Amino acid sequence: MTVNMSFLFNKIAIYKKVYCRFSIGFVLLIICQFSYAQEIDILLKGAHLIDPKNKIDSKMDVGIVNGKIARVAKDIPIASAAKIIDVTGFYITPGIIDMHVHVFQGTDKYSTSVGNSSRSQQADAFSFRTGVTTVVDAGSSGWRNFPLFKEQTIDKSQTRILAFLNVIGNGMIGRFQEQDVNDMNPVMNAHMINRLYPTILVGIKSAHYWGEFTSVDKAVESGKLANVPIMVDFGEHNPANSIESLFLKHLRPGDIFTHTFSEISTGRESVVDEKTRKVKPFVFEAQKRGVIFDVGHGGGAFSWAQAVPAYQQGFYPNVISSDLHDQSMNSGMKDMANVMSKFLAMGMSFQDVVLRSTWNPAQVIQRPDLGHLSVGAEADLAVFNVREGEFGYTDVRKTAVVGTKKLEAELTIRAGKVVWDLNGLSGQKWTIEK
Amino acid sequence: MTTNKSNSDLEICAFKIRLVVLFAFLILPRLIKAQEIDLLLKGGRLLDPKNSIDSKMDVAVKDGKIYRIAAEIPSSSAKKVLDVSGMIVSPGLINIHTHVYAGSKPGFADGQSSQLPDAFAPRSGITTVVDAGTTGWRTFPDFKAKVVDPSLTRVLAFINIFETGFSAGSAFEPDLNTLDVQMTVDAIKKYPDFIAGTRIGHYKGKSWIPFDKASQAAQITDRPLFVECHMPEYSLEDQLKKMRSGDIITHSFENVSERMPIVDEQGKLRAFVLEAQNRGVLFDVGHGGVGFWFDQAIPALKQGLLPNSFGTDEHRTSMNAGMKNMLNVMSKYLTIGMTIPDIIASGSWKPAKSIKREDLGNLSIGSVADIAVLSIINGKYGYVDSGGNRIEGNQKFEAELTVRAGRIIWDLNGLAATPYTK
Repeated sequence: MTVNMSFLFNKIAIYKKVYCRFSIGFVLLIICQFSYAQEIDILLKGAHLIDPKNKIDSKMDVGIVNGKIARVAKDIPIASAAKIIDVTGFYITPGIIDMHVHVFQGTDKYSTSVGNSSRSQQADAFSFRTGVTTVVDAGSSGWRNFPLFKEQTIDKSQTRILAFLNVIGNGMIGRFQEQDVNDMNPVMNAHMINRLYPTILVGIKSAHYWGEFTSVDKAVESGKLANVPIMVDFGEHNPANSIESLFLKHLRPGDIFTHTFSEISTGRESVVDEKTRKVKPFVFEAQKRGVIFDVGHGGGAFSWAQAVPAYQQGFYPNVISSDLHDQSMNSGMKDMANVMSKFLAMGMSFQDVVLRSTWNPAQVIQRPDLGHLSVGAEADLAVFNVREGEFGYTDVRKTAVVGTKKLEAELTIRAGKVVWDLNGLSGQKWTIEK
Repeated sequence: MTTNKSNSDLEICAFKIRLVVLFAFLILPRLIKAQEIDLLLKGGRLLDPKNSIDSKMDVAVKDGKIYRIAAEIPSSSAKKVLDVSGMIVSPGLINIHTHVYAGSKPGFADGQSSQLPDAFAPRSGITTVVDAGTTGWRTFPDFKAKVVDPSLTRVLAFINIFETGFSAGSAFEPDLNTLDVQMTVDAIKKYPDFIAGTRIGHYKGKSWIPFDKASQAAQITDRPLFVECHMPEYSLEDQLKKMRSGDIITHSFENVSERMPIVDEQGKLRAFVLEAQNRGVLFDVGHGGVGFWFDQAIPALKQGLLPNSFGTDEHRTSMNAGMKNMLNVMSKYLTIGMTIPDIIASGSWKPAKSIKREDLGNLSIGSVADIAVLSIINGKYGYVDSGGNRIEGNQKFEAELTVRAGRIIWDLNGLAATPYTK
């Protein structure tokens, strides 16, 4: 009985339903296309399209109808579109997914962390200007205050906000509250995800725990009940807990280790050996096993001394993300496009960077409807300019790597609507009268 | 003789000792001085409008204050030296029109339509923002606790004559009996370092009582009145006539049905606008979502009406529209022909003077080390106004470094970082 119930409310099942509707919608859409000459609402013309899911890496036009991707082709005639935006010289990518942010902005004066406080930031203030259309809040709220987070922030945001539910009922309102093992309730967490908010909650977060593996294990227990991944910030144990044990004994394939390139003297074991500068062998093994490695740059969790050797030895993060909050936004992190640019600076190809910030995170959070530009998908996309020059990229230790490229979001479209337009590409021309 | 000789030897010896001591006294402070500067910005183009400086100058910071300005300050005298050659060194920028009473409620007051100051100020070279009337005397203490005190950015405010400020974007009509000059004056006197003046706006009635009371509270406290929009029953001419020298009108270059534009149908600045400018009324941009139109700003600039300040009217909807950030607004003015020194003046010293904070917006020796280091990048850029009209430009301001009270709070390209060595 329980098994049947959980299957009924399984997220995957819900998405199958959504997909059925998608394909019906698509058929209707095709019929419409035959009946109108100017069927395309927005036509993006002349850019290089990078769509890792569909293995597209070439010059392509993209047509949007009713907020959905309607056509992707080498040359879509101008006559077929109501609005044409010339994006020659730029790159089109699926809307960027920032899988690790803190956006539960509020004014709880008793919160000392990112839960319902001004330490969290507004999603819309950081997303669109960097090509991001979806953010995933990483455990700022737990089952007790998620409804408030939803009402206060998620429902009022233009950015799509998804969330990892904190394993702690109170979420991140303070370090001491995060130690309360009695407030880790897997059954309630699973109800929240399966029954109450299946379209918003994508996983469970375990963070800032000082004890052994209780928090991780309770998160995994919740994750098993809800059939979702967990994300672990494993950084505040003294002495540090074994990450080998975490990766190989506690996490399941699909679970996420965040702050991958953190190097701190106490609290967290590094993935790259601090003496030999070699990636620890079990790290490769863990990734092979299916453990997901997330950047989660943040204010203190990205060191070149980890990231560069790791990159050179072929250990790439599965997902690139920012860990946006008050302490990271004005430091080396800055914004998601800056974090992506850091990987360009290390030598990663743009295609690879896009994969790790669109289709990869979409798969990790079990949202295969996002992170690509397949026909019929919601028209969330970004147009990037790759600026050439000399740019400095700083890590948390205030060491800088010089790069020659920098990503700049020219245009961001969310559900078919232009929500960011850096240089007025979509605006009309206006001449100065002499 | 011998005694004499030895006496004179002793005297010489003593003299030598005295010389050494004297020398030591002269040299020692210099040796200490050798490391006395905390932060040295070297090789930039210093623009300090208050002190009429526009030349290549080094700027030294010590203990959070401007310590020395000179054509050449030796690197050896500083703990940290940053090469800012090719960049503009300006007083920290001041944005006098923001809405930063950010909270969780709908609307502006303690609300989601307002923005957190640290999210946009440091990355735009801004070190001081002024909230434009989102609070009144009743709500200012809450704003101070939630936003002013925890922010890295210096946050000041024009307080609304309406006791709880304003929250909705549209105009409203409060009970006129609730407008209290004395309570407003008391709040200003209680927080003299934080409240820069009073504000009127978002009023849909015909009575001049709110305007007059806001003006009165400003006058009593020797501060400016900040006049915003959404007051459809007041004519522009009447508003400007009622404004005193030093009062600030914002949304100066808007072209909306609610208020008569400053430029007439023939493209001429209206006579009463020029008259107000000559009388000392100050014009703030107040870009916002609908407050900036090229068809107003360009003729105004050509006819000599420069904005006194580049208030952005930062809020939820303007931030992702044509406004974007204050450097983008400044870049628009660069594109339509305002000179770089004039732009820096309207970004720093002029707004500081307008809010009677002459301690800010300049880099005089001894003043607080609020500094912006800006680059002008070259390329093809488009700038859009509130009507969706676009102009093309080839230059754009970018904030390289922002220093607030001597502390680096923004460093775009890691100027202050050490190079990573593999």
